[in-house]
Amino acid sequence: MMKKIYISTIALLMFSGCAQNTPDASGNIADANRLTSDTVTVDENNMFEDGSGMNYNSSSDGFASVYFDFDGYSIAPSMEKRMQHNGTKLQSVGSRQVKLEGNCDEFGTDEYNYALGLKRAKAVKDALAYQGVDTSNVVMVSFGESSPVCSDATDQCYAQNRRVDLRLVR
Amino acid sequence: MRRLLLLFLTLWFTTNLLAVDATLKIEKDVEQRARIALVDGSAQHHAKFFDILLSDLKISGHFLADSQLYRGGFSDSFIDPKLKSRDYLLKYNLMTGEGTKIYIRLLRASDGTELYKKSYSIPSSAKLPFVAHKAISDINNYLKYPDISWINRYVVFTRYTAAKTSEIILADYTFTYQKPIIRGGLNLFPKWADANQRTLYYTSYKGTLPALYKIDIYTGNKSKIISSEGMLVCSDVSRDYRKILLTMAPHGHADIYEMDLSTGSKKRVTNFNGIDVSGKYVDDERSIVFVSNRLGYANIFKKGVDTPGVAPVVYHGRNNNACDAHDNRVVYSSRESSSSFGRNTFNLYLTSSHGGDTRPLTTTGSNQFPRFSSDGSVVLYIKQSGSGSAIGYINLASSQSLLFPVSINKIQSIDW
Repeated sequence: MMKKIYISTIALLMFSGCAQNTPDASGNIADANRLTSDTVTVDENNMFEDGSGMNYNSSSDGFASVYFDFDGYSIAPSMEKRMQHNGTKLQSVGSRQVKLEGNCDEFGTDEYNYALGLKRAKAVKDALAYQGVDTSNVVMVSFGESSPVCSDATDQCYAQNRRVDLRLVR
Repeated sequence: MRRLLLLFLTLWFTTNLLAVDATLKIEKDVEQRARIALVDGSAQHHAKFFDILLSDLKISGHFLADSQLYRGGFSDSFIDPKLKSRDYLLKYNLMTGEGTKIYIRLLRASDGTELYKKSYSIPSSAKLPFVAHKAISDINNYLKYPDISWINRYVVFTRYTAAKTSEIILADYTFTYQKPIIRGGLNLFPKWADANQRTLYYTSYKGTLPALYKIDIYTGNKSKIISSEGMLVCSDVSRDYRKILLTMAPHGHADIYEMDLSTGSKKRVTNFNGIDVSGKYVDDERSIVFVSNRLGYANIFKKGVDTPGVAPVVYHGRNNNACDAHDNRVVYSSRESSSSFGRNTFNLYLTSSHGGDTRPLTTTGSNQFPRFSSDGSVVLYIKQSGSGSAIGYINLASSQSLLFPVSINKIQSIDW
């Protein structure tokens, strides 16, 4: 009995090992992953590695976007590295004007969503001031739900839209 | 004891009979609507024109209109015997070619007597829906029914076309007619600025800060009213069009201000370190209702323009984030599901500015952007359901409702 199990196990391991990435007789790739799963495209310009797992960035001029919870406008502890980065960056631009753009996902309506985007921008401005950074050259504008960076119907996508982007005023 | 019993029975019967009367009255009201049939006497039938005439008759609340189309001679007074049970026949003749001409005749169905006739002429067929609306409102006026001139008004709305890009569009109330009037960049929150719908306010994002402009939609002339950091919206206009309610954020959070347009002076009406938006005049413009998150979630509140006290108007729901008002009536949308991601159920409710007499207006789907007609008799809203989007109308007096499917991606704001 034990001998049969041993032989079966060896046979299974052999077959499973042979199946990986090996063209069959007709030239098809046997690894189904290659066909069923799409690969990613990484844009290094739009990434910000902060260890939070939220590596997106839609800010410009070296700033990092700050992301928020659903219907919320408090800055999460996971955004701390981004805020420190933005504080340092803001100090380095001197007297140039910087715009904080508050954004929301698509689920709010009417004026309320624009006010929510503004509260997010204000939270970022207040956090920068708390770091001791001069925010007199900072202006805030809410874009509500009008500026999504992602339009898929997924939680991950909606999370990318609940954000504050920072950029220099041109 | 017998007398007491007799008194009790009398009271019981009276109460119940009155209740029955109330029910009977509703049925009587339905009977009082005029039965009317449309007879197309045009050389070529125009299905859309017929549909619009029919919608106008239905939403008026004053007619029981046949949904079936009848064809017949326009000029004669012959009445098909099967139509003699109606009260009226509306015969029409639509002629297209060089310009568009429409002739209408209102006949008494029982004997063919001509009661009213009129002709309309427009240079192009683009505005044909407005001619249909005008014809029905003229007939309504001739019959001395309560005014329905709101069907002649423009609806103005913003739709998003891409990120940070939108269009402001004019439409008739059925959305059959649509014409972009402001394109390029991000332009939001259109609001009519005069009774004749010649000018409107809108927020432009062209500069560094949002700015409120007033534009003449016939000449394109525009003037800048004010700009503000953060956000800027004209939420309501006083009945004499001399004052406006603004949502502005000069202190970093949205508050409601009243602006006197003749002097340019502003008065801060709300002062809260959270979200106060969508101010609407109520109670003879002595107070406003508005949306605020001062209790931790979006809800409808009321405040005097010159007095400090704030009180909630709505006592149900955990997310009531949009409202409109007319005199002392308030309509608001309430989120009735709690999915953080995906489509939620939003229903519309009608209440008074004092918080009483609340009743639901919708029961299914996502119903948002409620707006009263200029006379407060009808509520417009956008309905989204599994099958798509539609613009809806509810006649508050007759409870008649209509939905017109629309293929517009994302409406940002709407005014009527």
